[in-house]
Amino acid sequence: MTAGGARLGAARLGVAMKWVDLRPEIDSLTGAVHTDARFSGASGADQAALELALQLGGTWGADVVVVSVGPAGSETMLREALAAGATQALRVDGDTAMASQDVARALAETFKGLGVDLVLCGDWSLDRGSGSVPAFLAGAMGFAQALGLVSIAPDGRSPCGLSAQRRLDGGRRERLRIQAPAILSVESGAARLRRAALTRVIEARKATVEVRPAPTPVGAPHLAPTRVGPYRPRARTLPPPSLTLSPRERVLALTGALVERTPPQTLVLEAPEAAERILDQLRTWGYLT
Amino acid sequence: MRSRSDDGTNLAHTAEATTTRPTTPVGDVPREAGRSDAWGSMAFEDRMATVDFRVAEKAHIEVDSEVCRSCTTRSCVGACPAALFVPTADGGILFNYEECFECGTCYMICNNEGAITWSYPEGGHGVVYKKS
Amino acid sequence: MTERFDAVVVGAGPAGSAAALVLAQGGASVCLLERGPFPGSKNMYGGVIYGRILDGLIPQWWDEAPVQRWVTRRCTTMLTAGQALTIDYRTSAWGSPPYNGATAFRPDFDAWLAGKAEAAGAVLVCSTTATGLLRNEAGAIVGVRTDRPDGDIEARTVIACDGVNSFLAKEAGLYHHAEADHFTLGVKEVLALPRRDIEERFGLRGLEGADFEIVGCTGDVPGGGFIYTNLDSIAVGLVLSLPGLAASKRRPEDILAEMKTHPAIAPLVEGAELKEYSAHLIPEGGYDMMPELGQDNLLIAGDAAAMCLAAGIWLEGVNFAIGSGAAAGEAVVEALTRGGVVAQPLEGYRRRLENSFVLADHKKLRRAPGLVLSDRVQSRYPQLACNLAERMFTVDNPSPKKGMVALGRQEIKRSGVRLRDLARDAWTGLRTFG
Repeated sequence: MTAGGARLGAARLGVAMKWVDLRPEIDSLTGAVHTDARFSGASGADQAALELALQLGGTWGADVVVVSVGPAGSETMLREALAAGATQALRVDGDTAMASQDVARALAETFKGLGVDLVLCGDWSLDRGSGSVPAFLAGAMGFAQALGLVSIAPDGRSPCGLSAQRRLDGGRRERLRIQAPAILSVESGAARLRRAALTRVIEARKATVEVRPAPTPVGAPHLAPTRVGPYRPRARTLPPPSLTLSPRERVLALTGALVERTPPQTLVLEAPEAAERILDQLRTWGYLT
Repeated sequence: MRSRSDDGTNLAHTAEATTTRPTTPVGDVPREAGRSDAWGSMAFEDRMATVDFRVAEKAHIEVDSEVCRSCTTRSCVGACPAALFVPTADGGILFNYEECFECGTCYMICNNEGAITWSYPEGGHGVVYKKS
Repeated sequence: MTERFDAVVVGAGPAGSAAALVLAQGGASVCLLERGPFPGSKNMYGGVIYGRILDGLIPQWWDEAPVQRWVTRRCTTMLTAGQALTIDYRTSAWGSPPYNGATAFRPDFDAWLAGKAEAAGAVLVCSTTATGLLRNEAGAIVGVRTDRPDGDIEARTVIACDGVNSFLAKEAGLYHHAEADHFTLGVKEVLALPRRDIEERFGLRGLEGADFEIVGCTGDVPGGGFIYTNLDSIAVGLVLSLPGLAASKRRPEDILAEMKTHPAIAPLVEGAELKEYSAHLIPEGGYDMMPELGQDNLLIAGDAAAMCLAAGIWLEGVNFAIGSGAAAGEAVVEALTRGGVVAQPLEGYRRRLENSFVLADHKKLRRAPGLVLSDRVQSRYPQLACNLAERMFTVDNPSPKKGMVALGRQEIKRSGVRLRDLARDAWTGLRTFG
């Protein structure tokens, strides 16, 4: 696809990326998550989105603008995107825990201001994983959405048409024809990010990354816990049966089969009587004295 | 053959680079009763799972199985700390490159000229230590 | 093609970062290449960082370096199957500035040092592997090739700090002895242990750290073991001679697991959870197997020049890397100020190394690697020492105590060590370490 039509593809392609710790450490006792900037960057899916945008940009002769909502550390990732071939990089100041809708709103404002009419992004972030930002973004911009794509290519029929594929349940694939303006999210396997040229890597170290202030949140976060369920203790580890027993005896010991015990009964009683029975039973088992 | 790794990157395996794991137990299998302490009985796969490997698309190890057929020592099989080399029934050597520590033991220890060709993986890939 | 640099340093380990730091401080334009995603990501070690060499480069470095613990307890342990004899030295002097040795995670420490070089003006480029030397039509080295598109870097000088496998030094033909018997394999487990447990088990307080060097724990493979304390983890590992490992047909992690079950070691490590396993080669050949230090516009430093000191009681590497890297940087700065292209930095580099601890220590301890990896030092002497200690401290009343000389004579005879060998090793040891 080269020049010839009135307007070729999108004039400006947008890529939304998130800076996340790709290998966070999770404390197995407390569940606390420790992140490390050295292990942070764009996920495979975000990298695939950038690569596809760069390919489309190359075909259509369009600029590729990369935007990230995140802390200052995100700029390393944005510089890598510049080194790989993006024309412009922008960071909207924010933290990684921002509500998806606020992130989408910030992205939408930025992309609209830049005149972007096709946005690519990863299907879901590695830390939140709800995959809702692309959908919110489509809503905020009033664009069509095609989410979870495994491949994107110019369809070769219309100047700005794309043909894409996505996975459906049961191993089926759906082939879509897409016309900008649209939001496309891709799976990590869709493409592998190209290796940046050395000259560009060195130049990108000094490139400016424009920073926009954080947007004011719309209100309460859209995902908030409303109820916390009761505490359930972990399963108790039982000692294995002695190795001197035969396999049959060990299976019996583990399953409790053929062991003499009182069969369970179901009783329908009035409340006071039921309470008495429960207390009796607890006394029998030795829980109450 | 294409398969997907955990982080979703695509791994294209070359014909020689197979992902077969050694079937013989190579971990810290306790040898005597009373030795099976929590740390001694760790499976080799669990040991390797503590290390971050960013797998490159292209293998950085090459093994010429023809040369290996005449090898009697097969030092690489036992000495590679990541147990990446596995002897095959027909006398060749199967190898993995994905979980390589990039130490260089294999080619240093190999006494057959040209059997193992070893270089560094593509920049940014391979083993990434965090606490070493 | 990128701009032409005064120097390109390959490898942002301690040697490379020290070289780049000195070059940048000296006003040279320098590109620091690292093949890992960040400096230190490919690096592991068995050990301790001795920071005295940093004093001249980064004043008050101890206030900012990412250190885990300061070593205040240094133990040398000899093990046999059921015995252990330890020389345990501790001093509070090493626990306060300017300190002596530190334990640290290399991905932290190396990244910090590379950050210093970057702050001084070096251009750090990560995730980029140097694939070879760049030469002009005349065959002179004019830079390096990398695996990035458009990846040639032109520079007046190349400083290869690309580690123990240094493909650049080998490509230039600087290695004359790169056989397996000059290298050892280091394997290491970093095991998580609560801070309080570490303090109790190793007898430490605050940021005090312990360092155990162990001999006799590697079965029939010549080598040694080590345990170091981090803040809330310990590093337990082995160093194994490559030919010995190949001959033994044993797996490195099995030998390590065996050491961890030794009655003297098990109480220190039990219950700790594996956080990271790692492996690396160590150039242990010493002075006699060192490659040439460079040629024309190429200098090699650190592990690439086999500058790891593995002399039994002294096990050092990071300080030698920093020392040699800094010397290479100084030599290049000197050559540049003297008129650049004409002057060769190699002479200045060699002179600096010979006048400093880097080559002086290696020269002095050139016989140590052979002695340390010999069968007698590996198994017979530990056995002899442990047996002697056992006899000395066993009270077998009603028999009267035997004199030390008599015990010694009996035990030497029982150990099968010939007096002639003992005398010769003592003499070698005295000449080497004395």
